Amino acid sequence: MIWTTWRMHRSIFLASIAIAAAFAVWLAVTGTSELNAWTIFTSHHCSIETPGVSPICMNSLSGVDRFSSVNAALCGVLPAILGLVLGAPLVAGEMQLFTNRLAWTQSITRTRWLVAKVGVGALVTVGIVGALAPLFWWWTDAAQRSIHIQPSNFDISGFVIVAYALFAFMLGVALGALIRRTGWAFAVSIPLYIGARLVVQDFLRPSFGAVSKVVDPNSGPPALAWIVRSGFVPVGRFSPAPGQAWNSYLIRMVTCQGANGVTKPAHSWKFCEALYHVRDVIQFQPENHYWALQAYESAIFLGAAIVLLGVTVAAVKRWRT
Amino acid sequence: MSDAPALEAVALGKRYGHKWGLQDCSIRLPVGRIAALVGPNGSGKSTLLRMVAGITTPSAGEIRVFGHSPQDQTVEVLRQIGYLDQERPLYRAFRVQEMLKFGRLLNPNWDDALARGYLTELEIPSDAKISHLSVGQQAQVALTMCLAKRPALLLLDEPVAALDPLAREGLMHVLLRSVVDDHTTVLLSSHAISDLATICDYVIILSRSRVLVADDLDYVLASHRLLLGSREQPPDVPPGVIVISTTHSERETALLVRVEVPITDPSWRVVEPTLEEIVLAYLREQQPKTPVLGQPRSGDLGRDTQ
Repeated sequence: MIWTTWRMHRSIFLASIAIAAAFAVWLAVTGTSELNAWTIFTSHHCSIETPGVSPICMNSLSGVDRFSSVNAALCGVLPAILGLVLGAPLVAGEMQLFTNRLAWTQSITRTRWLVAKVGVGALVTVGIVGALAPLFWWWTDAAQRSIHIQPSNFDISGFVIVAYALFAFMLGVALGALIRRTGWAFAVSIPLYIGARLVVQDFLRPSFGAVSKVVDPNSGPPALAWIVRSGFVPVGRFSPAPGQAWNSYLIRMVTCQGANGVTKPAHSWKFCEALYHVRDVIQFQPENHYWALQAYESAIFLGAAIVLLGVTVAAVKRWRT
Repeated sequence: MSDAPALEAVALGKRYGHKWGLQDCSIRLPVGRIAALVGPNGSGKSTLLRMVAGITTPSAGEIRVFGHSPQDQTVEVLRQIGYLDQERPLYRAFRVQEMLKFGRLLNPNWDDALARGYLTELEIPSDAKISHLSVGQQAQVALTMCLAKRPALLLLDEPVAALDPLAREGLMHVLLRSVVDDHTTVLLSSHAISDLATICDYVIILSRSRVLVADDLDYVLASHRLLLGSREQPPDVPPGVIVISTTHSERETALLVRVEVPITDPSWRVVEPTLEEIVLAYLREQQPKTPVLGQPRSGDLGRDTQ
């Protein structure tokens, strides 16, 4: 069944490997040029705030920026697309061409058939994205130079991208088994994949083990952190009081300090905080939470992939015409 | 389990939405028979075969293949059946030899020599791509896949449909040989009634999703008669017969009837009909009230499991 699966989906497996390899070469080349541009930029003591002081600074900064955002987008999209492209036709493709009727009347149970197909497909998906992961890490680390805990970096680095790809793969497989049309399975899986990623990124990742801290204008927020939430909350609390939001005191504080130019003379920060009995609190994920969060989020998406495998097995076993 | 019939269906039905694709189907097919499943398009032949093969779930009733339910999708049942789907599904990107490798890897009873023998005989090159073969050749490869599996029950949906007359005859010989040598039971559907009559010994007639006849060919032939009488003054229908169809020629009225006792009424000329005439009579004038011929006479399906 392993040979059969490989032979059946050989062309799409090989095409995926070829596309991944082409992108790897592209990222290595553009990443290296980005890295060189950084080297020039720093060796000439240029600053990001004022690059216009010399043409060398201007040129090297545009060299850094040239492919930066497009590469970041491609790094974000590639694992998901690979997973969906490999997953969607795995079961749906056979149902569309009726070859499932051939496969399901050989001397092998449907479950074994499915497990073999999913196993081979998942292995190819994990193999490709796993091979890309160190390259992505090099690029985000050396060329991008942002801290890893920031979502723009977190989402395309570390090992969580393998979990994303596996989730996308199983989503494609499960929807293919339910819808029985490769194209529709693919089309439906894209919004579902994006939705799942957004839910985890906006609601689960920020809260998991987040640190809260009282700040004042002198200390400022921590440098190596992803600021999740911030705002004025009642004294003694680290989060808004029930019924209040993180920005409930914002307008009052701004007005009190005269920062909007309405109130004169302006009051001090301390005075306004005392006036409303609030303090400035930030909730953040420090950089050293990176690996724990990678493991946490990988576990979520691997768990979801296992649930989808169960859905697929049930759909295939109960398949009717 | 050795005394279990090859195939037994009781009150089997399949509903598609509000429409029944097959309804109240009861069949008991003993081991070693070649059964012909005949009926017009849309009468439920493919539906029945798919349910026996376990790829369609019945909406009603029960089905047993050698005493086991094909719906359980167990290897035990899957090993016993060789199913030829009406779509002739094959992996079109595969070469013929890769198709055979697929069969070899997935079936413990696979007979590679038999498969290669057939393909050589049919002059189908083993390194040809499936998609480059003609429709007839693809049908032959699909059929070879079924036979090389060495199943105890062959389920063939329109096996002769894409075959030329010579290939049809070849297939009939192959089927006969495997029935004689391996005690294979065959259930095949077909439009070509005349071809079937030469090899079949069991007949199932389906019409409008219902079974009209399901019994031994000899019994079916013996229990039907063609009655010919004057058209102007047709004699009375003899008592105890069931009229299946009535046709008129210029001078004669012909009744195809089901009989239980010999007809002695001298006003009718009694002729033994051919299978084709019987089948056509059923398909032409299907009386909803005609009782089914050949309901399992001692069919108690629950015996093995309860």
